[in-house]
Amino acid sequence: MVVRKQKICGDIHGQFHDLMELFRVGGDVPDTNYLFMGDFVDRGFYSLESFLLLLCLKVRYPDRMTLIRGNHESRQITTVYGFYDECLRKYGSANVWRYCCDIFDYLALGAIVLGASNTLSPGNDPTTLPAEEDTEIEVCNADGHVMSRFRRQGGRINLIRETQTISPKGAPSSSPPVNGTSSSPSGSAPPAVGAPTNTGPPGSGASGSSGGSVGNPAGAVLCVHGGLSPLIDMVDKIRLLDRKQEVPHEGAMCDLLWSDPDEIDGWGLSPRGAGFLFGADIVKVFNHKNDLSLIARAHQLVMEGFKEMFDASIVTVWSAPNYCYRCGNVAALLELSEDDSGLGIFARSNGDVNRSDGGMGQGAPPRGVLMESDLARKGGGPARRYRVFQAAPQDSRGMPAKKPVADYFL
Amino acid sequence: MSDLQKKWAKAKLSSAMAATATVFNEADEDTLMSDVPTDTTSATVAGGAGGFPFPTATSRKNLSVSTTAAGGGIGFGGSIPEQDDDSSSASSMSSTGTVIPSPGRALFARPMGPSGGRSLDPIPWTTYFERELFLTTPPSTSSENGTETEQITHHAYLTSPVGPKGPLFVTHHGAGSSGLSFAVLSSEIRKRLPTAGILSIDARGHGSTTTTGGTPGPVDLSLSTLSTDLFNVIQATKTAMHWPELPPIILVGHSLGGAVVTDLAHSGRLSSTPGNSFLGYAVLDVVEGSAMDALQSMQTYLSTRPTGFGSLKDGIEWHVRSRTVKNAVSARTSVPALLVDTSSSQDKEDEKGNIANGSNKSSSRPWRWRTDLAATQPFWEDWFVGLSKKFLEAKGGKLLLLAGTDRLDTELTIGQMQGKYALQVFPEAGHFIHEDLPEKTANVLVDFYRRNDRSSLVLPPKVSELLAQGKRV
Repeated sequence: MVVRKQKICGDIHGQFHDLMELFRVGGDVPDTNYLFMGDFVDRGFYSLESFLLLLCLKVRYPDRMTLIRGNHESRQITTVYGFYDECLRKYGSANVWRYCCDIFDYLALGAIVLGASNTLSPGNDPTTLPAEEDTEIEVCNADGHVMSRFRRQGGRINLIRETQTISPKGAPSSSPPVNGTSSSPSGSAPPAVGAPTNTGPPGSGASGSSGGSVGNPAGAVLCVHGGLSPLIDMVDKIRLLDRKQEVPHEGAMCDLLWSDPDEIDGWGLSPRGAGFLFGADIVKVFNHKNDLSLIARAHQLVMEGFKEMFDASIVTVWSAPNYCYRCGNVAALLELSEDDSGLGIFARSNGDVNRSDGGMGQGAPPRGVLMESDLARKGGGPARRYRVFQAAPQDSRGMPAKKPVADYFL
Repeated sequence: MSDLQKKWAKAKLSSAMAATATVFNEADEDTLMSDVPTDTTSATVAGGAGGFPFPTATSRKNLSVSTTAAGGGIGFGGSIPEQDDDSSSASSMSSTGTVIPSPGRALFARPMGPSGGRSLDPIPWTTYFERELFLTTPPSTSSENGTETEQITHHAYLTSPVGPKGPLFVTHHGAGSSGLSFAVLSSEIRKRLPTAGILSIDARGHGSTTTTGGTPGPVDLSLSTLSTDLFNVIQATKTAMHWPELPPIILVGHSLGGAVVTDLAHSGRLSSTPGNSFLGYAVLDVVEGSAMDALQSMQTYLSTRPTGFGSLKDGIEWHVRSRTVKNAVSARTSVPALLVDTSSSQDKEDEKGNIANGSNKSSSRPWRWRTDLAATQPFWEDWFVGLSKKFLEAKGGKLLLLAGTDRLDTELTIGQMQGKYALQVFPEAGHFIHEDLPEKTANVLVDFYRRNDRSSLVLPPKVSELLAQGKRV
């Protein structure tokens, strides 16, 4: 799957109003290309609306929307975590749910973004100076104001963690001016974003960290909901999977949707009960073998919206702010810039055969042939801009009443 | 029962005995077989099998341990009426480990009456467990108060694990329940994992666990005491059964028991015992946030319960009808242990006095609750405070089994979405998940064990190891 200048989003979980906020922050379709990494449904109260909106956009703009499957896009999970009940409540029958589940079976398991540029395209904040050539990572708030930048250095590892905050209103950099703070739950501002540190255990939400990358500079980014599988050492093996089925309990397809990165050596048992844990060595070997610079994945709640791990060889993106309407986290989307050269594009999609432009841009190379951009890379991964945003204001949604407490609990 | 059937069963029985001798290293194979306890109502035994001749057992007596063994072989009247046919005596049969169920195993599983008529007769524990243990732990090791010689005799039900690798599921019930709460579940686990053992304890103040001496007044049900009790019972069981070391252990706790097993897992005491036998723990339907919320309405709920029942059957019927326990077979198994007949003994003054709405028809309703839940109120908060944190911090595999997703509190919602533990939800179950849905719960628990079984775990090689072997990666 190929598109350039992608905005990559993580879990949505039926938080429709926050999805609208995401589009407000990220830009409208079709002016912006979006890639959603699964978990559209469950937990939130508007799973159906969220999924159908994304689906409609996909139908209308097939080459500008990419939807891949998450572990919640499954019959078994949705019957437990709310999507089934929601369909039943709204339609009085399970047919809508059944049709949606049939669509889930056709969602892709992963996507590859090629042609990501090493330099950031100008942000949409008119008051901000254009990003300098050597900026690798830029963190913005919902209004597009830059909160922090990380500069690329000649040596890949010795990155200077320079925090450069340009705020139009002269607000101090230590407290980034986050949009809508008044309506957000207390304590949800991302204090760590301005001054990232290397983090504690994965998923602990210790900070949204960005350490600069030492990955392959080819610019290819693999997007998958969960992570890697011990059964898949090459990206091409994902194509061999028969994906048109319910998510199995084990095997490669299950692992892609369920696994998590962790600070371990090699593979480990996932406490989730499905999938695996995988360590930095696995990610680096996989990226090297497959000529990837970055793996973007979702699946895990990170309180700061995004979290880069293992020298920025993998990033977790989470796009459901204040998850379950009470977790107090912020959300993020990852923006990859387009490589101006127009090279570095290739088509490896299975399903693009009859599409009008074949899913490819200008100068389309032969199908299935990797056309590496031979531009001199500056080193480091593709330039990344994270837009951090918060939950939509509470009054814009009607919250169903909380269920009464259980009767008997001793 | 025809003569043919009897002959067949006898043949099976003897083969089971022979198999037993080869499988068990215990000194007392003979305790595997015993006579049916006298209170077993013949009604629970199907097709006349109640009259089946059993070898009499020697009841084993140790210094502080007495073991009563239940039918461990095939053919015991373990047919559980109104369960599906193939469930017959699976629990007892598999205790030998080598007897292969024959196609005729449904022989004894004939439903009692016409299929429409639901029986509400009690089912004895011998249907499910191999033996019961009375374990006297060293008199009150707790040094908290000077009162000495509080002698507690823990009562537990046990089905031994088979072989050196058979896991032991140690189960702890919730407040006001008893070890028999897990009885039906135990037989379902054995069906799926024939090598598994189950140790189901009665907490102090519950079931047949008795305390003598010590200070009068309410039983000490603080979390640390219960957690210590559980640890002691596991150790005492090991001693009583002459196990060289503890088998791999999965802790399972329901409600209050969930808090107890989490506390024990968090303390790390089991992991520090030789053999590193602790694999993981499963918590059934208790979450700190929602439990604390529910506590406020707890007394109201308790006051709506009947204070007594005219008979055991009435008690079972109430549990089924009120949907407290939705599965009739489970109710018939577990409810008898919750009630005590006060008509014969007059020294139950406090029980009567403490229960609200004391309409004092004790003559007409002699069966009273064995545990006065309302009196345990001082301990309620202690049970659940910090539970979510401990659950996430403790080592070992973690499984949370809930009857609804709305039970999760914020801490566990975040933990779940960060992939820190396995969550299973059975929306169709009530609070007593394992009694309402024993089959499904057993499936989940056995899967949980299989995932966490380190002896069979094979992970792909680490990159560093591959490099060490000189391979290219």
